[in-house]
Amino acid sequence: MLREKQLKKLADIVGEDNFSAEKYMRKLYSHDVGALPGIVNDILKAEVDAVVQPTSSEVVSNLIKYCLENKIPIVPRGHATSGYGGALPTHGGIAVEMTRMNEIYNLDLENMTVEVGAGIIWGALLEALEDHGVTIRAYPSSAPSSTVGGWVAAGGSGIGSTKYGGIKDQVVDLEVVLPTGQIIRTSNPPPDLIEKISKDDYEFFPNASTYVWAIDDFGLDDVDLTPYFVDSNGSLGIITKVVLRIIPLQEFRPFVASFENREQMFWAMQDIMKRTKPFYLHFITDGFNEMLTEVNMPTHSKHPWLILCVYEGSSESISQEERIFREIVSKNYGVIEPDEVGEHEWEERFYPMRIKRLGPSLAPSEVYVPLENMLSFLERAEKHFKGERFAVEGAVNNLGEVAVLAWFLDDERRTIPFLMGWYRSLDFIDIGIKENGRAYSIGMWNVSHSLNFYGKKRYANMARLKKSTDPKMIVNPNKVFSGPLQLSIRMSLLILAVAAVAVPIGLWIAGLYVGDLIAAYVPWLIMDNPLSVLIAFAIGIFLGVAVNELVNIVPITFVLTIGRPFLRLGRKIFH
Amino acid sequence: MAVRVITVGSQQFENLRKAALDIEPLICARCGFCTFVCPAYLDTLWDSQSPRGKLYQLRELIKKKQPIPADFAERIFRCTLCGACQEICQTKIPLLHFWQIIRQEVNLAGHWPEIVHFLDKNIQQSQNIMDLDQEDRTIWADMVDDIVEGHIGKAAATAYFVGCNISFKGSLASIAENTVKLFNHLDIDFTILGEKEFCCGNPYFVAGEWDKAREIAKHHLEELKRLGVKRVVFNCPGCHRAFNEEYSHLLGEESTKDFEFIPFSQFVAMNLRDGRLKFTKEYSHVVTWHDPCELGRHQNIYDYSREVLAAIPGLELREMKHTRNKSDCCGGGGLLKGTNPTMSVRISARRLESAEKTGAEFLLSECPSCMMSFFDGIEYKHSKIQFKDLSEIVAEALDL
Repeated sequence: MLREKQLKKLADIVGEDNFSAEKYMRKLYSHDVGALPGIVNDILKAEVDAVVQPTSSEVVSNLIKYCLENKIPIVPRGHATSGYGGALPTHGGIAVEMTRMNEIYNLDLENMTVEVGAGIIWGALLEALEDHGVTIRAYPSSAPSSTVGGWVAAGGSGIGSTKYGGIKDQVVDLEVVLPTGQIIRTSNPPPDLIEKISKDDYEFFPNASTYVWAIDDFGLDDVDLTPYFVDSNGSLGIITKVVLRIIPLQEFRPFVASFENREQMFWAMQDIMKRTKPFYLHFITDGFNEMLTEVNMPTHSKHPWLILCVYEGSSESISQEERIFREIVSKNYGVIEPDEVGEHEWEERFYPMRIKRLGPSLAPSEVYVPLENMLSFLERAEKHFKGERFAVEGAVNNLGEVAVLAWFLDDERRTIPFLMGWYRSLDFIDIGIKENGRAYSIGMWNVSHSLNFYGKKRYANMARLKKSTDPKMIVNPNKVFSGPLQLSIRMSLLILAVAAVAVPIGLWIAGLYVGDLIAAYVPWLIMDNPLSVLIAFAIGIFLGVAVNELVNIVPITFVLTIGRPFLRLGRKIFH
Repeated sequence: MAVRVITVGSQQFENLRKAALDIEPLICARCGFCTFVCPAYLDTLWDSQSPRGKLYQLRELIKKKQPIPADFAERIFRCTLCGACQEICQTKIPLLHFWQIIRQEVNLAGHWPEIVHFLDKNIQQSQNIMDLDQEDRTIWADMVDDIVEGHIGKAAATAYFVGCNISFKGSLASIAENTVKLFNHLDIDFTILGEKEFCCGNPYFVAGEWDKAREIAKHHLEELKRLGVKRVVFNCPGCHRAFNEEYSHLLGEESTKDFEFIPFSQFVAMNLRDGRLKFTKEYSHVVTWHDPCELGRHQNIYDYSREVLAAIPGLELREMKHTRNKSDCCGGGGLLKGTNPTMSVRISARRLESAEKTGAEFLLSECPSCMMSFFDGIEYKHSKIQFKDLSEIVAEALDL
């Protein structure tokens, strides 16, 4: 909990109007789109102590310096439209919400780039660029409300990524405020920073050491640090400005084809990727289609398996690709749906969560799977999640990988089954990885996949960067680099109480069965007088304190890994 | 002093439950699409002000059956009820109706803003929102008394429902003048209710207090029936929606089935279609159109006004970027002008910015509330754009 003086100082730094420590505001800025089991609040300090909305990079720098000095955790936040926990607090502190840094600083039509504040939303940027006859090459499906900085930090692919790649391929340069308060340009970082990271020492970052032990090459490939900051979830610093690639605005034409079965659909998708260059290639499964009908948003397609394929370019080039597309669909026994279905699905590209009404909760999970492995991946997933109701959709990126998104229907009001269902999101990713896939985004919940996601060399360099600038893990703790839990007071007390009661009872039961043994070796543990009960109680308290201390240094990844089989079993029992 | 009933415990959110809307905060996907179309959020950039933020706060209150606290009640009323959140909602939450019921909950918790009590008192005492003498209902007709004379309380198939704002506010009187001039031009026999015209009940709908509007609805429908009215023309979308939607919800579909309630634009368009009206004069102006929320998003009426404008020779319509169902709010709805006038004027200024970008000379709409908002916004912003009501354009184009 921050002290009054600290709150006042923070308000001074960002300005009174851009600061709040009201209870309701702290709650509002401590969640993302994911619904979390209540227990999260007992194992993490999942609520910030204050919310700040900086208006300039200098303000961000001052904030960071003050927080560093006072060891106040900082949680950078766009508009919290993702569900991977990247914007969630784990040790309280302050939420640094970037939406006030929403300007377009420079539109460079010569070099075809645009420089924007990290807090501008994609929708607003696309609209503004449209006036100049240009557009962004790829944007997220959450574009109506997600910030540019948010997607840069979270990473991933979106609309346009089939042709132009994910966010990583769109970013030219970033302005980042490092955890030291230093403002840098990632494409041209200060030499001392490069030197810090390039130093050949072998002290590993705490908690990341498990993953980087095997690294023997710590050198940086070049001095452009931009790729290190993209999809780093704000763990290496706060992104304040982004320079993005732009392209001339051209014609778009969406087509929808439907198929009777998955084989036909995925074969057609592979053909489409081989023979044409779609701007966006997206599919929904028969289950998803059915759920859309249930929520009164039917696709009106002839067959249940659906693809949306969008071509971008000149009229002639689109027509050419359309001809091939029609040929492929027909060859795979598909049906090209009428234009209005295409238009409808294109309009619906921002609305993957229509089906949430059926939940009313949704547990999402996302993983990259090679397109050619999609059939076996889906079969595996269906087998693994037998009895669970879930919908799957996916979009292909420029590397031929499908960003597969699963939505598990659930009801968070049913506390125990909902908690147990947590395993599904984690298992879904594992199944994808078994099919030669990779995690989609790291955030907090997928930290155990960091090494696989970033690759050994990159992850090691990121760890060095983190260690040299933020050794105390002030900036976005527990993201990308695993961090410890922080038990709530009530959870700590519960552990103490359970231990204090369980130890005397345990000793009493032990006395009944192996009383001779205890009497021979530890006679003072025989529960035959008030003093021995008191001793047992004291041991219980001591044990409780020890467990509390131990748990507080356990990384969350460890808990998720250890806990998953229990959740899986529990879900089977309580579902 | 009126005693306000404050409910506690299990009665909280009972109305929401009856409407089967108590689950909606849970259905909210928290995607935040509603935030960047919400005029109140855009004014503050605080999530506490956004529909997403409010739903999140309500979720806990509903779960714990706790009454809405005073500070939250204030934020509930910092909303223009423009319906943009409902339009963009990922999970199709019927937010407009939801917010209305929540405003009712605010009343149950004893936190209605003063402006609502003020309007309530005025309507109960004087049958109009201004607490003015009903005898002055036709004060707007001073300049057109030759046309209006003999039409007050007359039996006729067409009625003109003027509405409180246009009736009593001098700056809006021209809307009614132009409308009756058009009736006269078209040689249409019409009736106006005069003193028998009460507030349509819109403030009650906006505040979620439907029951209090029941008697008003009954009175108006009986009066229209007595005069043999078949069709009612409105300049005010708020009044139009009260008659067209809310009255039948209150009194049943049967109660309104014999009437046709039409906004001014539809009235003009219908006359254009059947050839009774034709614009011949060259009216060379560049204009842009603002869709009033109560007509557009709330009732899905967008085309008549554009049809009318397209029929005027020489008139060029340049649409704003956000138009029709994606139209931004003028800042005047949801009683925001009364609860937070400064926010209201800033919202209006933001809409004016979009209008200015089109390069239009006139910003047009058909809503007295939008008109008042834009007048305030133009003054606040020192904007060069002029606001005109559709009736004014029609009258000018016809040289009435």
